[in-house]
Parts: sequence; C-alpha cells; structure tokens
Amino acid sequence: MDNFGYLFAAYSAIFAAIFLYVVFIWNRQSRLDDELRALEAKLDTLTVPPQGESGPQSGKSL
Amino acid sequence: MSAFAAILSKDLRLELRSGVSTIAMVALAMLVLVVLVFALNPGVARGPEAAAGALWIALVFAGMLGASRALMAESENECIRALLISPVDRATLYAAKLAASAIFMLVALGAGAILTVLFFNLEFSGALVRLAPILILGVIGFAALATLLAAISGRARGGELLLPLLVVPMFVPALIAGVRASTAALSAAPMATARDWIGILVAFDVLFVTAGYLLFEHVIGQE
Amino acid sequence: MGRKLNNVLGAVTLALMVVALWMIFAWVPTEAEQGIVQRIFYFHVPCAWVAFAAFAIVAVAGVFYLWLGGQIWDDLGYAAAEIGMLFCTLMLLTGSLWAKPIWGTWWTWDSRLTTSFVLWLLYGGYLLMRAMLEESGQVARFAAVVGIVAALDVPVVIVSVRLWRTIHPAVLVTRQGGHGLQDPRMVVTLLVSITAFTLMFAWLLMLRLAILRTRTRLDEIARAIAIAEFRAGRA
Repeated sequence: MDNFGYLFAAYSAIFAAIFLYVVFIWNRQSRLDDELRALEAKLDTLTVPPQGESGPQSGKSL
Repeated sequence: MSAFAAILSKDLRLELRSGVSTIAMVALAMLVLVVLVFALNPGVARGPEAAAGALWIALVFAGMLGASRALMAESENECIRALLISPVDRATLYAAKLAASAIFMLVALGAGAILTVLFFNLEFSGALVRLAPILILGVIGFAALATLLAAISGRARGGELLLPLLVVPMFVPALIAGVRASTAALSAAPMATARDWIGILVAFDVLFVTAGYLLFEHVIGQE
Repeated sequence: MGRKLNNVLGAVTLALMVVALWMIFAWVPTEAEQGIVQRIFYFHVPCAWVAFAAFAIVAVAGVFYLWLGGQIWDDLGYAAAEIGMLFCTLMLLTGSLWAKPIWGTWWTWDSRLTTSFVLWLLYGGYLLMRAMLEESGQVARFAAVVGIVAALDVPVVIVSVRLWRTIHPAVLVTRQGGHGLQDPRMVVTLLVSITAFTLMFAWLLMLRLAILRTRTRLDEIARAIAIAEFRAGRA
C-alpha cells in the first residue's frame, strides 16, 4: 500500500475541486434567481395599471 | 500606390524621422543580452545554444515593445479614427502594421545578433547569413500574433501586462523551433538538421498571418 | 436545457461516477509496475480529455459568435473556458501527484506535461483577458478571437513540443509511449471514467450557462423596469 498517500491526495483534490465549484455555482444561481424573482415582481407592479385611489387613470398600458 | 504600401511607408517614414521605437527596441535587445551574460556564469553563457536562446529572448521582449508601439502610434491625434473611416480594408491595415513591426524588429535583432556573436564567443563566418532567414521567420510569426493581440490588450487598463500573457504561450512553438534552428545556424551545423524546425516556423507563420488577416477586423475600431 | 433536464443529467452523472469509482478501486486489477498509485491514471486522463475538449468548444463557440452573433455563443465559450481551466488545473495536479512517486520528481518537461502546461497558460490568458476587458462592450468579440487563435496554436504546440522532447529527451526520466494497458479491464474502466467525466462536463457546462443566461435576463428586466418607471413618471 505504498504511495497510497498520493492516490488519496489526487482523488480528494478532484472531488474537492468539483464539489466546491458546484457549490459556488449553486449559490450564485440561487442568489440570481432570487434577484430575478424580485425584479419580475417589481416589473409586474409597474406594468399593471394601478387600481382604485391613485388619481387620474392614464388608461395607458405598457 | 496601394493602401498597403501607403500605410507601410507612412509608418516607416515616421519611424525614420524620429527613430524612437527602433532605438528603444535595440536598447531593450541589448539589455536582455547583458542581463543574461551577467546572470549566467561565463562557462554557461557561451556557445551557440546559449546564444540562440538569448537572442530569441531578446526577440520576444523587443517584439512586445514594438507591437504595442506600432498600434499606439495611431492613437495620437486619433489617427486611428481617420484610418478606420477611410476605405482601407481592415485586413490590409493588419498586413501593413505587421510588416512595419517586423521590419523594426528585424533592425533591432540585427543589432542583437551581432552583439550575441560577440558576447557569446561565436564565429561570424557566415553565421549571421544563415541566421537571417530564421530570424525573419520568427519575427513574422511574432509580429503576426502581437499585432492582432495588441489591438485587444491595448483596450485594457494594464494592457501592457496582458499582451505578454497572451502572446508568449501562443508563441511557444515558434520559440522552440526558432531557437533550435538558430542553434544550428550559429554552430555551422548543416542546415539540413534544422529542416524540421524551419518547417514548423513556416507553418506557424502561414497559420497565424492568415488567422490575423482574417480576424483583425473583429478587434479593431469597434467603438 | 431546462432545469429539470439538467437535474436528470446530474443524477446520471453521479450514478456513473459511482460506478466508475467502484471499478477503479474494487474491480480493475493493480498495474504490475507502478502499484496502486497508477489508479490516478483513471481520473487523470479524463481530466485531460475534458480540458482539451473544452478548449475546442471555446474555439468553435468563438467562430459561431463571430459568424452568427448571439450572446449564447459567447456564454458558451466563457463557461467552457472556465470549466476547462478547472479540469486543466486538475490534470496538472493529478499528473504531478502521479509523477512524484513514479519518477521521483514533481515536474518534468516531457512532451505531454509541457503541452498541458502551455494549454493551461493559454486558458489563463483567455480568462485574464476576459476579466480585464469586462467593461468593454467588445469583450465577446475579443474573447472569440483569442479563443480561436489559441485553439489554432494547440496542434502546433503539440508537434513542436513532441519534436523537441524527442531530440532532447529529459535527462531524468523518459516516458514510455502510450499508456500500455495490459488488461482489458483497464481499458473498460478508463472508458467508463471518460464517459462519466464527459457527462459531468456537460452538466457543469449547463449549470454555468444557466447563470450567464439568468444574468442576461436580469439585465433585460432591469431595463424594462427602467423604461416602465420612466413612463409611469410621465403619466
């Protein structure tokens, strides 16, 4: 079982690197998804003509 | 006069008048050689192999300087805009810039080669004549890469660092081939031994001059 | 590629990876000369394969970007370059960890390692260039050009380095040509491993692409919001 250390190090390095990369991507994707949802919601409120009290209705749709 | 000749002669005349670029490149080539002579022990810094290596290091550094200057020369007075508005074909502009850089590099390397023979205890007998075509091939290859890539690196802040980072790895095959061929030239070995290396240099030049010619329009003057 | 489909791809990748690992550590026989450390080979070679394949993708994406336009091509090139860089680094790392016990040195300029190192430098230059020129609107074009030129360079590098190392063989070590796989089980294991890595590469690529596409979508929406707010302000 000589040189087992090298074997172990090599495989650990590969898995660690890939795992970290996936985690990194996953986090970025979640954050971007959250941001996307927030912005989409905001866009919806702006494009739907306001109901009720807010003064003269422009009647314009976007 | 063709557009190519016009641009080329303009660059050459400008350089003839001021000579700044070429002098700087000659100086840089010489400095590289001096550094190497002092960095390596006299026992090491002699003979055709070390000499060939030293000369090509000088080629790379002087070339880097020459390439960025060839393009930057246009940024004064916004000449680049005038060039781009004129009906000059981008590829022709590339060819002219490449030729100009190559000529300046060759002048600098000519001086460098003479110094190399002196510093590294070689014989002059025909060495420079055999060396010349190899240097020409190497310079063309380098200028082909550097002219194309300098257009990109020039747009970045700190682009002076980016250019070598892009050019050097790409230049590796020509560097390997060029040094081996130069060693043969400097050591009066029959040039047949260097045939493969020269073949690689030629292929390199054809490949990257063509690539640069076709791709240059994508990197220049898109504002 | 939809998220669901990509998740399926991820699951298949994981499954195949488990199979490959079992084969590598439990099934394939130990190589006679090198001992167990030779098993690094079954991950090292797929890393190399992915690194070179990714590079080809960067170049092809560059060609399509210059030819057809379309941000998708630039995104593909960028994602492939990033992941390719990851696997190129892993290739060099595992190569080094394999070299040390076998050859007694962490690094040697044999033709394969040298070529891999140049590839790594080319990747590095590409990514650095992208980082430095991100604000320039032209970064996609520049990246396409650099990717294409670098890919054209790779075959010349391979040829010249091989010729160099044949004429000047390394003083310390000489590498026997090929990976002389004596046992057919070794070949099968290698193929399974390569397939697993290829699937993983595709999966990672899709993940990374999704981020780039999401960002583009974010920009679109932000612009739409700005327009909407402007109009609401005038109403």
